[in-house]
Amino acid sequence: MNVVITPAMVGQVVVSGLLAGALYSMVALGLALIFGVMRVINVAHGTLLTMGAYTTFWWFRLLGVNPYLSLLVSMPVMFVVGIGLQRAMVRRVVNAPELSSLLLTFGISIALVNGLQLAFTSDLRTVEFLTGAFVVGGVALSKSRLVAFGFALVITLGAYWFLQATRFGKAIRATSQSPMVAMVCGVNVERVHLYTFGIASALAAAGGSLVAIMFAIQPEMGQVYTFKSFLVIVLGGAGNYPGALLGGMLLGLIEQLSSLFLTTQLSEAVAYVLLVLVLLVRPTGLLGGRAT
Amino acid sequence: MSDRVEASVLEISELTKRFGGVTAVNRCSLALAPGRIYGLIGPNGSGKTTLFDCITGLIVRDGGTVRFRGRRIDGLPPHRVAALGVGRTFQVIRVFPELTALENLLVVSRRDRDGALRRARELLAFVRLDELAAEYAGNLSYGQQKLLEFVRVLMLGPTVVLLDEPAAGVNRTLLNELLAAIRRLRDEGRTILIVEHDMKVVMGLCEHVFVLDYGEKIAEGPPEEIQRDERVIEAYFGR
Repeated sequence: MNVVITPAMVGQVVVSGLLAGALYSMVALGLALIFGVMRVINVAHGTLLTMGAYTTFWWFRLLGVNPYLSLLVSMPVMFVVGIGLQRAMVRRVVNAPELSSLLLTFGISIALVNGLQLAFTSDLRTVEFLTGAFVVGGVALSKSRLVAFGFALVITLGAYWFLQATRFGKAIRATSQSPMVAMVCGVNVERVHLYTFGIASALAAAGGSLVAIMFAIQPEMGQVYTFKSFLVIVLGGAGNYPGALLGGMLLGLIEQLSSLFLTTQLSEAVAYVLLVLVLLVRPTGLLGGRAT
Repeated sequence: MSDRVEASVLEISELTKRFGGVTAVNRCSLALAPGRIYGLIGPNGSGKTTLFDCITGLIVRDGGTVRFRGRRIDGLPPHRVAALGVGRTFQVIRVFPELTALENLLVVSRRDRDGALRRARELLAFVRLDELAAEYAGNLSYGQQKLLEFVRVLMLGPTVVLLDEPAAGVNRTLLNELLAAIRRLRDEGRTILIVEHDMKVVMGLCEHVFVLDYGEKIAEGPPEEIQRDERVIEAYFGR
């Protein structure tokens, strides 16, 4: 196979990669938060994203209003759903062996996906809103991806600001470093768990809403995002929150770059191969993981 | 009896904790009056840290009661015990390594939220860490981390301070600073309970000493008496 790579192609790859990467970062930050604070790998994370996507789909289908406004609904709704899941189920497995939480969230995921299939069928659904692209210097910028990038960037930076600057954000970071010490400092760790799951679900939902405006959605779409988020936090270092930002961008770039050289099916596999490689060579993440 | 309860700021009564077949703390009773420094000594594994864990709610006791200002605190979750005003340090330094020195203090929940930042800066200045406020705690030296953990307890505005081996691994200069700080806390009316292996520190600092052996309180009294106590000597040097 002979490919001629032009500067425009490289530009396209970088731009597309970064556009996709911001969304990965945002969604993966949710998974990283839950893992960091509770040491729970939430396999249902992608399914929460799917629920956000359907919220946007129905918002647009039923109300016909600008689908980007649906983030104002999907995020709070999934925040509450997340708190409900934590309160009813996940909190029971926080200190249990990892397999328990893996099985529980896997079960939650199956139940939710089947619920979505029953309610909305497995048909592919689309939100036809923002189509077309700007072309700048030979690089095509899909409008919907550009807007999604903007939203993802603002929401992700907002989440980092929250973690960095607010009292509750500090409590979340302290809890993920040492729950026991956080407790004796007067931090209500159960409450931190509750809101962390809520925030993580809202981040997933935001991802879902943005995805729904770009691609066709169906109830099983979430699994890919669970997997990609997992890869992002492995790349960035589990429990390292800024690492999620880097990991997301990196995954976006790698995916796009491999699509330059490989067929679509093969380039999908690159992420999986990468996961295995990173786990083998650098299991604490590219940034080196936690100092503790 | 009732005025004894009145006089104690912390009253531990018949406290028992078992781990499997091992009784780590066995029917221990200690009463601490306000504004005094108490020592808690005993050979390794005699249950001192377990007692701290039971008081602060990190582990749930199997029997007995803990009263703080007359109110039962056994069974309360750790954050409630802390918020009431019982603070502690750990035997092994536990700072949040990836929070800055200042953030380590700001994590502590306080009633006056607005005063937190001012108080945190005061406390950092008190232990001369103010210039390192923005440094990650994990990058501080051992001694600096020890001081940081110490002032983090003070962020709670604690009535009772439990210190688990404050002198361990600390150089002379730092030790003297710590001892002065502990005395100052006492002068402010706070009650301090110290687990310590360094007998010189215990004898020089504490007004009253409790001795644990195999989870039981085998003696208590002023340090000079404790030093001569047959059972204490036996517990330390064997029969």
